[in-house]
Amino acid sequence: MSGELDAGPFDSLTEEELRERFEATDYVADDRTVTTVDLALRLGRPLLVEGPPGSGKTELGKTLAEGFDTELIRLQCYEGLTAENALYEWNYTKQLLAVQADEGTVAGGAATNGDAGAVGERDGGGVADAVSGGDAAGSVFGEEYLLERPLLRALRSSEGRPPVLLIDEIDRADEEFEAFLLELLSDFQVSIPEYGTVSASTPPIVILTSNRTRGLSDALKRRCLYLHVEPPSFETEYEIVRRKVPELDAAVAAEVCSVVERLREESFLKRPGVAETLDWARAVAALRHDDADEPLAPDEIERTIGCLLKEAEDVGRVDAELLERLHDAASAAAERTE
Amino acid sequence: MARSDGTATETPDFPAAREHLLTELIRFVAVLRRDGVAVPASGALDAARAIAAVGLTDERRVEAALRASLLSETADGDPFAEAFPTFWHRLRSGLDRIATAHDGPSPESEEGDDGEDRTGDEAGPTAGSDADDAEEPGLLDGAEPPEMDADGDGDPTVRIPTDRRHAAGDRPTGEPREETDGRRYSAVGESALVEADVPAPSSADRAAAERFVDALSSLPGRRRRRSPTGPNVDARGALRASLQTGGAPIDLPRDAPTPSELRCCLLVDVSGSVLDTIDRSALLGLGERVAASARDARVFLFDTDLAEATAAFADPGGEPAEALRAAQIEWGGGTKIGGAFDALRRTAPHAVDRRTVVVVVSDGLDVGDPDLLTDGITWLADRADGVVWLNPLAVSPSFEPASRGMSDAAPYVDGLFGFAEGADLAEAARQIERRGLGGPVGYEHDPRRTGGAPGGGRGRTDDEARTGDAGEEGVV
Repeated sequence: MSGELDAGPFDSLTEEELRERFEATDYVADDRTVTTVDLALRLGRPLLVEGPPGSGKTELGKTLAEGFDTELIRLQCYEGLTAENALYEWNYTKQLLAVQADEGTVAGGAATNGDAGAVGERDGGGVADAVSGGDAAGSVFGEEYLLERPLLRALRSSEGRPPVLLIDEIDRADEEFEAFLLELLSDFQVSIPEYGTVSASTPPIVILTSNRTRGLSDALKRRCLYLHVEPPSFETEYEIVRRKVPELDAAVAAEVCSVVERLREESFLKRPGVAETLDWARAVAALRHDDADEPLAPDEIERTIGCLLKEAEDVGRVDAELLERLHDAASAAAERTE
Repeated sequence: MARSDGTATETPDFPAAREHLLTELIRFVAVLRRDGVAVPASGALDAARAIAAVGLTDERRVEAALRASLLSETADGDPFAEAFPTFWHRLRSGLDRIATAHDGPSPESEEGDDGEDRTGDEAGPTAGSDADDAEEPGLLDGAEPPEMDADGDGDPTVRIPTDRRHAAGDRPTGEPREETDGRRYSAVGESALVEADVPAPSSADRAAAERFVDALSSLPGRRRRRSPTGPNVDARGALRASLQTGGAPIDLPRDAPTPSELRCCLLVDVSGSVLDTIDRSALLGLGERVAASARDARVFLFDTDLAEATAAFADPGGEPAEALRAAQIEWGGGTKIGGAFDALRRTAPHAVDRRTVVVVVSDGLDVGDPDLLTDGITWLADRADGVVWLNPLAVSPSFEPASRGMSDAAPYVDGLFGFAEGADLAEAARQIERRGLGGPVGYEHDPRRTGGAPGGGRGRTDDEARTGDAGEEGVV
């Protein structure tokens, strides 16, 4: 922990620079987000981002990679994700071929090799015996047999700026996997039993996202800085829509945001997030041709409501009365943006 | 906040200011912990580093830095937002005081103002110094907090009045005892309608209720997770693993269903003695959560009689607050807990079966037949998977289940927790998550009760807290 304030690649980064990079990639971030990301970069700590679905958590990781012009290494978590899928795997085919090739050249000279025992425990006796005549290292557990998976790739990436490691939806992974991540997150290193410890020369920028489908362990949370992404205000969302969907007329964009804001007040099973707003804005823009700056009409809202509501029950609750209220909200939008 | 740009933006870099910052930071962390925020052990250290990185000039940046380093739960945002203004005010006014003390020789300059301090007066904030110091707790031991009024000199914005009436002696209560306090714990007395204007549960309350209900989950769900001792072989996992060994299934991973489902029966004592002690929003939040997420959830309200209120909590358009009102909540008349259990047994026996967790919210002040209560609670304990009793009185550090009703019921209860507000639910959930319902859980294991959290136990009243603060600062 004592090394956290060592000079890192982001020591001279200022919040203004960070804000500019967000701006450049059309990511609308509030002050708290900018400060927290700035801290995570400067302290070299992983950043745990929580918030409702569709609030731009994953986008934050992508934006950082784009903004700093570096590689994005993404690990999508799921139930049953194991260390092998995430960290490394041995290239068994290549190992087997190497073993067989050696078998041809050195026939029968098996029992003398001291390394064979360790290998045999894992791959079975027959293979172990055959390894004896292996390459100079005497093992098929060398670097050339190693298949890098995202985490290892993030650690071994050595060119220029550190990569962005996006560990997406960590709450979907098992607790065992979460525990496995601890070494990586605190020391930026992993231990591979057959190979040794791999540590990062430049620690990657680590962003973890969670939808809070389950609580994360205290050990994990302790190692991360924490950022809760709030649902955006009308003004913020309007700015996001303007930046991400520039083809949509400004007045209509305001109406779109106003309708979504009104829709969030209803007690739907799944309230629309920013991602849904953007989908809808794109849909509205795509369906308009000549009448690009016409105000939103109730039937237009009804036809495209599928972009916003993703549950049959929610869609079923949209009736004439609600449409009327949404239309009212849309009509009131013009004043709000002035 | 700042008295002028000159003194405010230029944080003097000398020991007194540093000690002041660290003292205030540690005090702030202690306040958060006391309010139930799970700040990690290294939280203060991380926070000091974070502040060193962002500087002390901008309140919003400091707030963001502290949020990032001290919090790890969405629900903790509210206590943080409540406590931060006090921290900031104390920090800034203390720093300003130190800065002006150095502007010239002053009779009230502090002991720590030696020559060395003065030399550092003009230095700007340096990122490294605070953090380095944070790693030397020894320095802090000798630290004397700069002199400040215990109350923070007139900080009107930071006193957040609460309109909740606390149990006398249990929670800090600034207001003088009114005559209503006298009847707060009386189970019998005059009948009078209790006003039932209940604000909607806050997000913190909802989160706490959600955590609590999740912790109670006892039924195996559809999801499975790996478990070395699980009952079933994970066939797909085994197949996947066998690919790595050339098709030979050497490892047979096993799995077990994740308990994610809950069958729950919630019994809420709606006598005035309970409703006036408990945060009603938190109570509604709990009811709504149980009705929404538990399988076959049933919610009953009882005082001298038992009434089912499942519909009011479960329907999206239902009005739980209205249900409380409609339950004819009246002061006095007493609570017949045994009678309520008996009525449950007669009228809705299927509400409780061996997979149900029964949650009773009651203060245990029973005026009915003691035998009936014993019969009722033993029936519940026999029949249900578990019985959790949430007692609003048990948040008091001096609580013992000594009242007749509670002492009769306590031996049959799997967990007896305090419940006066959302944070209490979170604490109960934490214990159940850690140790299981059969484990050592209950009000007596609440770290806040034993004063485990630094900054004092929850039981301190405002007066005590004030004298405590004054004592600490008296050393200067």
